[in-house]
Amino acid sequence: MEVNPFLLLLLLLSILIILWLVLKLHRVHEQLVVIKAALEDINTGNLNRRVLARKGDMTKQICYDINEIAMNSQARLIQHRQAEQAYKRLMTSLSHDVKTPLASLVGYLDAIEHGLVDGKERDEYIHVASEKAYRLKDFVTALFEWVKLDAGEQIFHYELIDLNELSRNIMADWIPILENAGLNYDIEIPEMECIIRVDPNAYTRILNNLLQNVIIHSNATHVKLCITVEEQQVGISITDDGNGISTEELPHIFERMYQCDHSRSAKGNGLGLSIVKELVSAHKGTVSVESALGFKTTFTILLPKALP
Amino acid sequence: MSNFLIETKQLTKIYGDQTTVNAVSIHVGKGRIYGLLGRNGAGKTTIMKMILGLTPITSGEVKVFGQNMKGGEKRIYPRIGAIIETPGFYPNLTGTENLEIFAKLRGTAAPNAVKNSLEVVGLPYKDKKLFSKYSLGMKQRLGIANAILHDPELLILDEPTNGLDPIGIAEMRKFIKKLSVEYGKTILISSHILSEIALLADDIGIIDQGILLEESSMEELRQKNGRYIQVQVSDLPKATLILERQFGVKEYSVQDDHTLRLYNTTLDMAAINKALVMQDVAVISSAFCNDTLEDYFKKITGGEGIA
Repeated sequence: MEVNPFLLLLLLLSILIILWLVLKLHRVHEQLVVIKAALEDINTGNLNRRVLARKGDMTKQICYDINEIAMNSQARLIQHRQAEQAYKRLMTSLSHDVKTPLASLVGYLDAIEHGLVDGKERDEYIHVASEKAYRLKDFVTALFEWVKLDAGEQIFHYELIDLNELSRNIMADWIPILENAGLNYDIEIPEMECIIRVDPNAYTRILNNLLQNVIIHSNATHVKLCITVEEQQVGISITDDGNGISTEELPHIFERMYQCDHSRSAKGNGLGLSIVKELVSAHKGTVSVESALGFKTTFTILLPKALP
Repeated sequence: MSNFLIETKQLTKIYGDQTTVNAVSIHVGKGRIYGLLGRNGAGKTTIMKMILGLTPITSGEVKVFGQNMKGGEKRIYPRIGAIIETPGFYPNLTGTENLEIFAKLRGTAAPNAVKNSLEVVGLPYKDKKLFSKYSLGMKQRLGIANAILHDPELLILDEPTNGLDPIGIAEMRKFIKKLSVEYGKTILISSHILSEIALLADDIGIIDQGILLEESSMEELRQKNGRYIQVQVSDLPKATLILERQFGVKEYSVQDDHTLRLYNTTLDMAAINKALVMQDVAVISSAFCNDTLEDYFKKITGGEGIA
């Protein structure tokens, strides 16, 4: 029997096509099994699950879409969880850092109430108790401020402002306080204008917290504020010649509630520097610290000139 | 299913007559950073290799995502990213070309995965530089980029900071932390540097000569270790008053309604106890805690320290 070579070729070709289609179908089937398993997993709450696809896969776009949905939900979930954690941290702070001064305050008031002290001693107890109450009030205020920053709820009012002039005004208020605390000072602010976009309240707060720290923690005799204006950025540095900070402590000082002396009842509230850090980063700037133990400490803030 | 992404039971590896890993049972919780700490040669890499099925297990069991690794490789591998020792890349291709090969082999979770993962580790996309010309730090980064290329749920990183400079180490630490906090990834990481693990890990397993000496959360360890005197008293406000007025104590914190921590460990506790009792404050207990994390590690590894 004569075989038509043309028909034979056609037969071979169709067999090849069928084989190719079967393979393709097999690959799609495999992919569907993987997609199904991943969807079940995602459905039970594992939003980290991804479906992988190769460039030539027919199911590629479906896989990418599933991944995007999982990724977006995951991002929302994590955001939610972070807000929850901020709240939890607030509650822990309230229970730890408020309890300590409160206990001591109650101790003083009880002594007065029960008539354990009288005369001059009594007046002194009242004075100490009132001081403690005020410190507690400041602490709670700072705590709420920090929580607001941490949760990203603080609203900033940026203005185009001469930073040098603003700094001079802030320092004018600080001079009597520094003198009272027995501190010598140097202030080096350039005469020229330096217009940048800042929230003046936030900037004031930054300088206040840093200077407050010098007075409370450093035991310094001299403090220097220096502003340097560069092409792209402005540097503000505050240097004191006090205790310094050890290299072990240095990486932690911007952490909330980190205090070098580990006590909750001593002066300060462990929030100042973390507030500074949050405020500076809201301005897209950086804050860094250098310290030589027992010699000096310098905090440097760099603010970009082109601001939000 | 339990909440452990990796669980090993009595995992053991014997090479010839040498037991490299001895009955190790570790538990890596979902969304946590688990630090495997141990000296060079303690068996960290072998444990990781056994978890990944890269080397046969002598005895014991490994479960990843609650499934046995053996037989489940095809389902499990796409969900893991790993760097074990130096990653293998083609020296005569660029970083981008190398990653594109891996993307083709394994598949990706998004269309622009190669670009994204290079961006994440701070390497340029479509750079002309050949892998053979990369510095050690860049090679390490490309290794990480490759490990996260398919956006896996679980990362297994063997000494990822090896060969990096101090700035590189700090960046890597920040980056690993970010993967955990912002993306909810689970990470198993090994290191021989205590401070490294202490800064990064949520949970820690300490390996010495193939034996798991301790497995614990960092939070627990930090709670246990510190320098302070813990005093339990009947009347806490009154106790603080006495401490402040008579002893000038300012460094203390209130733990709960009856517990105080004093941070000056040189205080004369005998005199304080006496003064408290004399003024009708009962002292229920007082305990002295004087352990830093380093001391603790020295203690459990038998005195030589870990690093």
